[in-house]
Amino acid sequence: MAKLWAIIKREYLERVRSKWFLIATFFGPIFFSAIIIVPAWLASRSKATTDVYNTTILDATGTGFGHRLAVNIAGDSTIPSRMPTVRVVAPNELTPAESVATHEVMRKEKTGYVVVNQQTLAGEAARYAGTNATSIADMAQIKNAIRETILASRLEQVGLDNRKMKEITFIPLDFSTERITERGRAGSGMASVLFGFAIGFLLYLSIVVYGQTIMSGVLEEKTTRVAEVVMSSVPTDTLLAGKVLGVGAVGLTQQILWIGTTYVLLKLRGPIMAKLGAPVVNFSLPDISLAAGILFLLFFLLGFIFYSSLYAAVGSSVNSESEARQAASPLMIMIVSTGVFIQPVLLNPTGTTAKVLSLIPISSPIIMPIRMAVTGVPPLELAASLFFLAIGCLLALWLASRIYRVGLLMYGKRPTMKEMARWVSYAR
Amino acid sequence: MTEYAIDIVNVTKRFAEYTAVRDLTLRVPTGSVYGLLGPNGAGKTTTIRMILNIIAPDTGMIHIFGRSSNDPNITERLGYLPEERGLYRKMQVRRVLKFLAELKGVKGSDADRRIDEWLERLSLKTPEKDWGLAKIDELSRGMQQKVQFIGTLLHDPDLVILDEPFSGLDPINAQALKDTVVELKRRGKTVIFSTHLMDNAERLCDSVCIIARGEKVLDGIVTDVKEEHGHRNVALALEGDGMAGVASILRDHSLVKRADDSNRFFEIEMAPGADPQALLRRIVDSGASVQRFEMIQPSLHQIFLQKVGAAGVEEGMSGHG
Repeated sequence: MAKLWAIIKREYLERVRSKWFLIATFFGPIFFSAIIIVPAWLASRSKATTDVYNTTILDATGTGFGHRLAVNIAGDSTIPSRMPTVRVVAPNELTPAESVATHEVMRKEKTGYVVVNQQTLAGEAARYAGTNATSIADMAQIKNAIRETILASRLEQVGLDNRKMKEITFIPLDFSTERITERGRAGSGMASVLFGFAIGFLLYLSIVVYGQTIMSGVLEEKTTRVAEVVMSSVPTDTLLAGKVLGVGAVGLTQQILWIGTTYVLLKLRGPIMAKLGAPVVNFSLPDISLAAGILFLLFFLLGFIFYSSLYAAVGSSVNSESEARQAASPLMIMIVSTGVFIQPVLLNPTGTTAKVLSLIPISSPIIMPIRMAVTGVPPLELAASLFFLAIGCLLALWLASRIYRVGLLMYGKRPTMKEMARWVSYAR
Repeated sequence: MTEYAIDIVNVTKRFAEYTAVRDLTLRVPTGSVYGLLGPNGAGKTTTIRMILNIIAPDTGMIHIFGRSSNDPNITERLGYLPEERGLYRKMQVRRVLKFLAELKGVKGSDADRRIDEWLERLSLKTPEKDWGLAKIDELSRGMQQKVQFIGTLLHDPDLVILDEPFSGLDPINAQALKDTVVELKRRGKTVIFSTHLMDNAERLCDSVCIIARGEKVLDGIVTDVKEEHGHRNVALALEGDGMAGVASILRDHSLVKRADDSNRFFEIEMAPGADPQALLRRIVDSGASVQRFEMIQPSLHQIFLQKVGAAGVEEGMSGHG
């Protein structure tokens, strides 16, 4: 045990001390919060912008409609900068007034102008012209403000007092969206997809990066013959176990640091978004229970053991980095083809593809956590997935340890698949 | 103390259709310096790996200090220097050494003390510069070799196993290694090394075993081995001209069984029943100027060639390590 510990300690400390670990650990959270904040920020752009305040209202109704509209567009009459400019014009002077307003927009003094007239009072028509005419959100806000103003005028005509009228027309509707799946509500739709994507991407990246780390570590020990010295002191299985556990612990440390700092950054997201000038969207992370968190880590560890032991076997069977890249391509294909399915699974987490992929050990360590993030997974499916993954791990370890102990001592040409199959059958 | 540090009995190891070691029996007396000699591919490295329990024999028994070689506690009494050497390139020297010591069960503070002693002894740690704090790849090749020796000997093993220790060493480190071997023997340690350099083996070893094509050719105490191969050898040194005449005499197989020609120096193995005096007369008659003509014990090199034969060497060259 002391020797296993010595190997784990070396693997762990040497990697955690390296500058690549520091760089990756530092940039990880920035990257992950970027992929969460940027889409949210972009989404917030679909809300009406401050452009609607910088408009002119050409009021040809002769009823003071324009001033009321201005208040409704601003939403808050106590902020003068939000109030659109109102110009009361006679109906026959409307054409020259529009021409003036058009030139103001062309000189970029204003974003646009609204024309309200008798037709507007009748609830029939209103016009807008401006640079933001294609912005759905801006147009919706102006249109709503006009509707509200018409409604208010009509209510006033039937004799409602001002205060009562405000009470009736004030509808501060916060329209939030939520996804419903077969298993019920799944939190904010976008948030869970992003979260699922982040989880999938994190697992995918970790398995590739740390799998290759193990592979080059094994190769270094082989080419420098350190492996022989170590093998003369500890059984090969202990060496393999120490490597997988040591590097796995590095991966786990990094993930915990990533998740921790990303969490903090997300908590600080409100202030960050405010700095970016975007209104804070009501954006809640999907609730992750402790049990789910433990399951995520379990999938990570098992997936890591599955792939890294195979990577170790590859590293032990070759003699140079370039051979290793070639020999590792079947593993790369296994991982990349799983990566290809991340998006389809996110879009349809309960479909047959998702269900099948989360049972196969090759793909389940990435696919199952994604499904868990975006939808509810029945306990039976979870148990089956873990069961097959655990069996897959045992098989991979068994195969890897047999290739490993022979491969480490074989120098010269790269073995064929047939030769490697024979190594597996060697006693020792 | 057990009589034998290593006791190998009837060991065979096959890799697929190829037999690396065949029915090998050899005993290394405790406290001796033992040479495992043979051409490349003779099975030396396989034998060493079986002694170290890196691979297991198919049949036969290996005992180290009277205990089975797969006894997990025995590894702490063994020190091993593999043939081609290297260490974790990006790792600090002290940390590498400490790691190797931990694998041999040396405790932390004890390891630190021993590392200091060794670094100072091999002048890797001087008042000006402590190479222990450098990374392995910042060290010169010679310094890396020293670090490797330290790693092999740090846990004060009772049995030191060196696989081709002299290959790639500069003369200074080679001498340091020889001194170390002598020093280890003086302290009662057992040293076994493999080599194909007969000169080193002849000078350093108490006993040798020659193996070829996986089989033992001969073994025993060096002086006995040489004695056994008798006074049938002649050292001949010539000066001046007359080489051509001598060359034809040496090709006469009624007189000479084999001649090892080093241009001006010959080590000659007499044909069975041939008279060395007759050879001397023929050479003098040919007009050559003889500087030295001496009956000698055969060198290990000669015995090796005689026993293994050039064919064995050539064949072995192409085989597995």
